[in-house]
Amino acid sequence: MSLNEQFIERAKAKPRRIVLPEADDQRMVEAAARLADEGIAIPILVGDPAISAPAGVEVVSPASDERAAAYAALYAQQRGVKEGIAKRLVKKPLMFGAMMVSAGDADGMVAGVANPTAQVISAAGLGVGYAKGVSQASSYFVMVVPGDPDRVLVFADCAVVVDPNAQELAEIAVITARNARKLLDVEPKVAMLSFSTHGSASHEHVDKVRKATELARAMAPDLAIDGDLQVDAAIVESVARKKCPESPLAGQANVLVFPDLNAGNMGYKLVQRLAKAAAIGPVMQGFSRPVNDLSRGASVDDIVAVSAIAALQCE
Amino acid sequence: MDRNEVVTRVTKVVSEVLNVPEANIKEEHSFTNDLGAESIQSVELVAGFEEEFDIEMEEDKALKVQTVGDAVEFISGYLS
Repeated sequence: MSLNEQFIERAKAKPRRIVLPEADDQRMVEAAARLADEGIAIPILVGDPAISAPAGVEVVSPASDERAAAYAALYAQQRGVKEGIAKRLVKKPLMFGAMMVSAGDADGMVAGVANPTAQVISAAGLGVGYAKGVSQASSYFVMVVPGDPDRVLVFADCAVVVDPNAQELAEIAVITARNARKLLDVEPKVAMLSFSTHGSASHEHVDKVRKATELARAMAPDLAIDGDLQVDAAIVESVARKKCPESPLAGQANVLVFPDLNAGNMGYKLVQRLAKAAAIGPVMQGFSRPVNDLSRGASVDDIVAVSAIAALQCE
Repeated sequence: MDRNEVVTRVTKVVSEVLNVPEANIKEEHSFTNDLGAESIQSVELVAGFEEEFDIEMEEDKALKVQTVGDAVEFISGYLS
């Protein structure tokens, strides 16, 4: 069973309410039908009420839904803007969906087939808000490296944050570890990657990673985390014994945090292309409740799998 | 509506949404670089302008406007 199939099976154990705010797109309607049919999630389509809703799927329209006024008031309160501005914003399906999540009328949101990523991030950041201690959206990939058995690792951030400072990098590490635990049901071992292992090189880029490691330890004292580490010292036990015998990860890291987007984006693509790894993602993270972005070209299968991931990311 | 009135009302909205005193807002200012806007706040600014001038703007184009002065020109296009 593929990892995506496993996510879908696990999501069925506790179906969550997932908002799909792009009901005008036929793929979303078909995905909603499958989520409901197979009991993977309780889908809620947001959009034009005139669409023919699949059996068992709720369709809500921001223009006529009686909760719109309450969502506008909640938005105005959350963001400190005038209610007139909030009323205009919650008329948009993406923001209406985000406010359903914020108000607790839904558990998570999946969008992006008809909206650019920046708009999905914007609706999530403004409407749902960021998780405690987190200041911006980031992302992770689940990498499945073929072997016997397959090796599953989580990479972050390979898609969103271009040049995180030490604090932002620490936040990415802590939130990625949290999501790895929820999604993969494993105890995360987090490596803060660098071209240096425990100070073997001196450079301000190394200092940033060391500082981020300290900050992440302060944010999550129980987390198994180490850095600065080179990739081999992070994931190869024999190398770790030589280069950093005192590392708590002992070469068994399963969450790799890259120092910036240059490294992260190249890193995931190298593993995907040269090691023939499956790359699941990018999965968005950092919001107080799950909001997952899709590519414009996403298939119905993709939407179903990403909805299952959103469900598993719920508390 | 003359240009000065548009400038005054745009400045008022920017001040309210970004929480910056009106006196510190100049036409050449970039919302993100000079006035401290997070990029995700662009949609709030657009909604604020629509509310102030009672217009509906083309969102894709409106979100690309970067400075106070460019917002004045963009909005003026909807008022004439």
